[in-house]
Amino acid sequence: MIRTLNLAFIIMTGLVCLGLYRIAEEARVAAADLKATHAAIVRENDALTVLGAEWARLTQPKRIQALVGRHLELSDKPEAQLSSLTQLPQKNAPLAPEGEIRNAKVVVPQPLQQRPAPGEAQPLQSAPSADPGFALIHTGT
Amino acid sequence: MKARPVAPSLVRSRIALATLFCATAFSIVAARLVDVMVFGAGPRTTGVASIAHPMRADLVDRNGVLIARDLPVSDLYAMPAALWDTDEAAHELANATGADETHLKAAFAPKRGYILVQRSLTPDRRDAVMRLGLPGLNFEDGYKRFYPGGRIVAHAVGQVDTDDHGVSGLELGLESSVRGSRDAAPIVLSLDMRIQYVLEHEIEEAAHAFHTKAAGGIVLNVRTGEVLALASMPDYEPNSRRLEPGDSIRNRMTQDVYELGSIFKIFAFTLAVEEKSVRLDEPINIGNGLKLGHYVIHDFERLGPALSAAMVFAQSSNIGTAQIEMRTGPTKQKPFLRKLGLLEPLKTELPEVAAPLYPRHWEDVEAATIAYGHGISVNPLGFTAAAAAVVNGGTLIRPTFLKHDEVQNGERVISEDTSRTMRELMRLVVTDGTGTKANVPGYDVGGKTGTAEKAENGSYAHHLLISSFCGVFPISDPKYLVFMMLDEPHGNRQSGGFSTGGATAAPAVGQVIARIAPLLGVHRNDIFAAANP
Repeated sequence: MIRTLNLAFIIMTGLVCLGLYRIAEEARVAAADLKATHAAIVRENDALTVLGAEWARLTQPKRIQALVGRHLELSDKPEAQLSSLTQLPQKNAPLAPEGEIRNAKVVVPQPLQQRPAPGEAQPLQSAPSADPGFALIHTGT
Repeated sequence: MKARPVAPSLVRSRIALATLFCATAFSIVAARLVDVMVFGAGPRTTGVASIAHPMRADLVDRNGVLIARDLPVSDLYAMPAALWDTDEAAHELANATGADETHLKAAFAPKRGYILVQRSLTPDRRDAVMRLGLPGLNFEDGYKRFYPGGRIVAHAVGQVDTDDHGVSGLELGLESSVRGSRDAAPIVLSLDMRIQYVLEHEIEEAAHAFHTKAAGGIVLNVRTGEVLALASMPDYEPNSRRLEPGDSIRNRMTQDVYELGSIFKIFAFTLAVEEKSVRLDEPINIGNGLKLGHYVIHDFERLGPALSAAMVFAQSSNIGTAQIEMRTGPTKQKPFLRKLGLLEPLKTELPEVAAPLYPRHWEDVEAATIAYGHGISVNPLGFTAAAAAVVNGGTLIRPTFLKHDEVQNGERVISEDTSRTMRELMRLVVTDGTGTKANVPGYDVGGKTGTAEKAENGSYAHHLLISSFCGVFPISDPKYLVFMMLDEPHGNRQSGGFSTGGATAAPAVGQVIARIAPLLGVHRNDIFAAANP
C-alpha cells in the first residue's frame, strides 16, 4: 500500500515538475515576446514621434510658401478673400440685407446739386421723388 | 554483510520530516499562486523594458500644429581599444553620424579612453551605426527638444537647456505644466502658426525695406486675450544652441520697454472722452507750439492754426493732445494708466517681462508728454493689452499664450460708449489721418500711428525713431489687434523718404491684416471696399 502510494506520489511529483517546467518555459517565452513587443512599440512610438516632427517641419508655412512661389502660379489677391453665404445674392431677394447696410456706417456722398447751400437748413426727410435713388434701393424699402 | 536494521522511530521521524518539508514547499508555492492569481502579484521582475516617455510634453498651436517636441536621440560613445582598425572605424562612423572624420581619427589614435563620437543621433542614424557592426560602441539614450518651425516662433516659445529644462520663453514659463504632463497630452498654445508666419514675414519685409535695427509685432484677440502671434527680430535658431552673428535672444515685445510715442494718444483721448473733458468737434488751437515751463511741445509737421479734437487724434497732433490731457491732469491720468495695467509689470505666461518705467514726479509737464507717449516706457505686449481694453468694449484682458475660447470678463475700465467713440476715432485715423496706408479695402481697419524719438546721450535724437502702428479690425466689432514696431527705420522711396509710423509700420500692418483676415474667418465687407478703395 505504502509502495503504491509512494509510486503514485513520485509519478505525481514528476508530472507536477514537468507541468511547472512547461509553464515556466511558456512564461519565459511570453516574457521574451512581451519584451520584444514593448521594444517594437517603443521603436514605433519613436518613429511616429520623429515622423510627426518631420511632417511639422515639412509643412511649415514658410516652406510651403517658398514651394508655391517656385512651382505654382498662385496669387493672394484681394479678390480671393473670403465672403459668407449670407452675402451671396439670392433669387427674388433685396440686393443686401437691411441690417448690414444700416450697420455699415458708410457716408454716401450726395450729388453736388442736392447738397444744401451753406447756412441752409437741411430737411430731416427728403421729399419723395420719381427716382428712388441709392438709399431707397439699398434699404429695401 | 548484513545491514543494521533501522529503528522504526527513526524511520517515522524521517518520513515526518520529509512530509513537513514537502508540505512547506507546496504551501509556499500555493501561497505564491494565490498571491499571483488573486491579489495580482507583486512587482514584476520579468526584466521587460518599460516604455520610455519623453520628459516634456509637446507644445502645439491652436490648430494642433506641432511647435515643440522631445525627440528620441542617442549620444554615441566609442572605446577605441575595442576597435580593430581605428582609421576605418573613424571613416565609417563619420559617414554614418556626420561627425568630423579627422577629429575622430585623432581621438581614436591613442586606443584608450571613452570617446564621444556624436551627440543627439536620430533613430535612423543610430540604425545606420548599428548596421556597421563595429565593436566597442555604446549608446546613451535621451531626448532632445526639437522645434519644427525653427526661428519663426523662437522668441515666444523659448528654449531648453541640455538637461531639457526650460530656460526661456514659454518653455520656462510653462515648465511645471510641460514637465507635469505625463499622459502625453500636448499643451495647446494660443499661437496660430499661419498667423505667426504672416506676421514674421511682413516684419521681415518691412525690416529689410527700411533697414531697421530691430522690429517686432503682436497679433492679439482683444476679447479672449489670446496672443495669436508674437515676433521679435533679430531672432535666433532654437534648434541650435549657438547664436549666429546678428542673432538675438532678446524678446523685444516683452523684455524691452519703449517710449512708444503718439500711439499712446489712444489712452489720452480715452481718458478725455471718458471724463467728458473734450467734445470731438471742439476746435483746439494748434499754432506753432505749446510752451510748458521750460519746454515747448511741437508737432511733427505744421497742422494749421486749429483742428477739431477728432482731427487732433487723426492727424496726431502733440500740441492738441497735450492741451486736452491737461484738462484732466496728472491726478486722473496716473490712476487711469495704472487701471489699464500700464504702470505694473505684465502678468503672462512669458517669464521675460520688463517692468514699465515712468516718472516718479508726475506733474503737468509729465502728464502732457506722457499724453503723446514720451516720458513713459512700456513693453509692447503690455501696450497691446491696454489698447485691447480700449477697443473691446472697455474690459481689461490679460494676454495669454494658452488657448481658451472664452471671452475674458475682466475689470471694466471704461464705458462701452467711450470704447465705441475711440473705435470711431481710430477708424478716422485710417480714413482721414496718419494711418491711411493701413487701410485694407473690404476690412474696416482702425488704428493709430506712433513715432517716438529715441533718447540718446540725455536728449531725444530726431533721426533715431521707434515707428509703430496699432491696427484693430473689424473696427465696428473688434476682434483682433495687430501691432508692429520698427526700431530705427530709414525712409525709402516707397515711404516718400519718411520713416514715421504711418509711412513704415502702417502699410506693413495693412499687409498683415489683408493676409490674416481670411485665415481668421473675418469676412470681406464689399460696402467698405467700395467706400474706401
